[in-house]
Amino acid sequence: MFPENISARLLKSIGVGVCLVEADNGIIVFCNASFMNWFDAAERDMLLLDAVPDLAAEDIARAIDGAAIEVKTKIKRRTLIIELSAYPADFDGRKLIVFECQNVSRLRETEAMIDSYATMVDRRTRDLEREKTQVEKLLLNIMPRTVYEEYMTFGSVAPRLFEPVSVLMLDFVGFTQMAAAADPTVTVAELNDIFTAFDRIGELYGCERIKTVGDCYIAVTGLPHPNPDHAVSTAKCASKMIRYLQRRNSTHQHEWRARIGIASGSVVGSVVGVQKYIYDVFGPAVNLAARLQALSEPMEITVSDTVSSELIDDFAMTRRRTESIRGFGEREVCCLEKHPDTKQITRPQVRGNFGLTKRDALPVANRGTSGVTTFSV
Amino acid sequence: MTAAVYSSRPLPLFDKYGGIKTLRHVIMEFYDRVLDSDVIGHFFEDTDMVRLIDHQVKFFTMVLGGPSDFSDERLARAHAFLRLNHDQFDEAVTLLIITLEEANFAPEDRDSVITAIEARRGIIVT
Repeated sequence: MFPENISARLLKSIGVGVCLVEADNGIIVFCNASFMNWFDAAERDMLLLDAVPDLAAEDIARAIDGAAIEVKTKIKRRTLIIELSAYPADFDGRKLIVFECQNVSRLRETEAMIDSYATMVDRRTRDLEREKTQVEKLLLNIMPRTVYEEYMTFGSVAPRLFEPVSVLMLDFVGFTQMAAAADPTVTVAELNDIFTAFDRIGELYGCERIKTVGDCYIAVTGLPHPNPDHAVSTAKCASKMIRYLQRRNSTHQHEWRARIGIASGSVVGSVVGVQKYIYDVFGPAVNLAARLQALSEPMEITVSDTVSSELIDDFAMTRRRTESIRGFGEREVCCLEKHPDTKQITRPQVRGNFGLTKRDALPVANRGTSGVTTFSV
Repeated sequence: MTAAVYSSRPLPLFDKYGGIKTLRHVIMEFYDRVLDSDVIGHFFEDTDMVRLIDHQVKFFTMVLGGPSDFSDERLARAHAFLRLNHDQFDEAVTLLIITLEEANFAPEDRDSVITAIEARRGIIVT
């Protein structure tokens, strides 16, 4: 019959494999070219299970229930994956099962490829996340978080004026000689411990380390977030740093003595440099803090007049005087009264001062002829 | 006064040629050719395709500068049981050149891929 003939011809030519099987005995009554290409043993009147060795009897039942069954077959050297679906049919009273077969080899290979690639990308993403965290930690060491976020968002940082802030400048007495007298690696390791402790103390008072230059430690309070108590917070922070050094010196072999200067004013903060960049602050307060630091006796905190007026309720002042400060003229300065603990703590025995007496050593910065340390930042 | 970071690194071939989409095509085509080859086809007759694809994706991604680290040790281990000789390696290279040509790789990019693979000849050939 014409319609049946054209259907048979169509079935023979399509890329989908088609196989008609007697429902009661599993004998093949028809299979098209694609099916025979994939299962070369297949022919009319043979058992489907013989034509498709990879197929089990229970698979046929599962396929009739709607499951898609996958079987493997080999053509030349290539192993193909064929997906079989089964549909019961009735033809002139004969119960048949129509098997529709698709070559899903490419699909499965693509899935395997995507799985493999996804695993690779996941691993790389995790590595990148880890690296990003490391980079973020490093960058947060050299710039405040808000600056870091600006840098990551825009790829650049605009200079910003912060006012008022307090600048803390700390420098160790005779560091250069210390490094020369003792094992430099030990000295630097100790310096690292001390700066780490200072960072923690700074965190308590919102006094953020901006940078260290050799043994010089520079921190600012009131940046990037304004802090109305910037002077008091910085003085408390400086006081804690001195107390930390006192306590440390009483139990460690090497004695570390610092001078601290605190000045208030406005500063400009910015990232400087392109390839080797650093976040830095600039302004008169930075220079003044450096000069005041140089005026300090070891383990003393010298503050400017503007700072001392803010500290009146919290600190006792001593050594109030007028100093001629290079670049600033005559300025009234004073020192914070040492904490009672500081006075009481004495070293049980001197185990090592790198052979230096109290005023032997110069700070790292150059000491000018006027006796005031010049410090450039 | 601003700070900025600029990258002048050339785009890896992996990205230049469309990433995994092109890689998929290259791997499929390459292995069709390999399976049809009388010189090396028999090596892959009963290979676990999923495992083979996993190796190939990682290896080609690395060769093309994509996000993969495929160590030389792993490459050596993957090929050790094949005991490939230089003629068989040459056949694989030839088939890859044809595949890359058909995938419209520029001659200089094709050469850089082949150079990267040739650099590992000593690891693959035993």
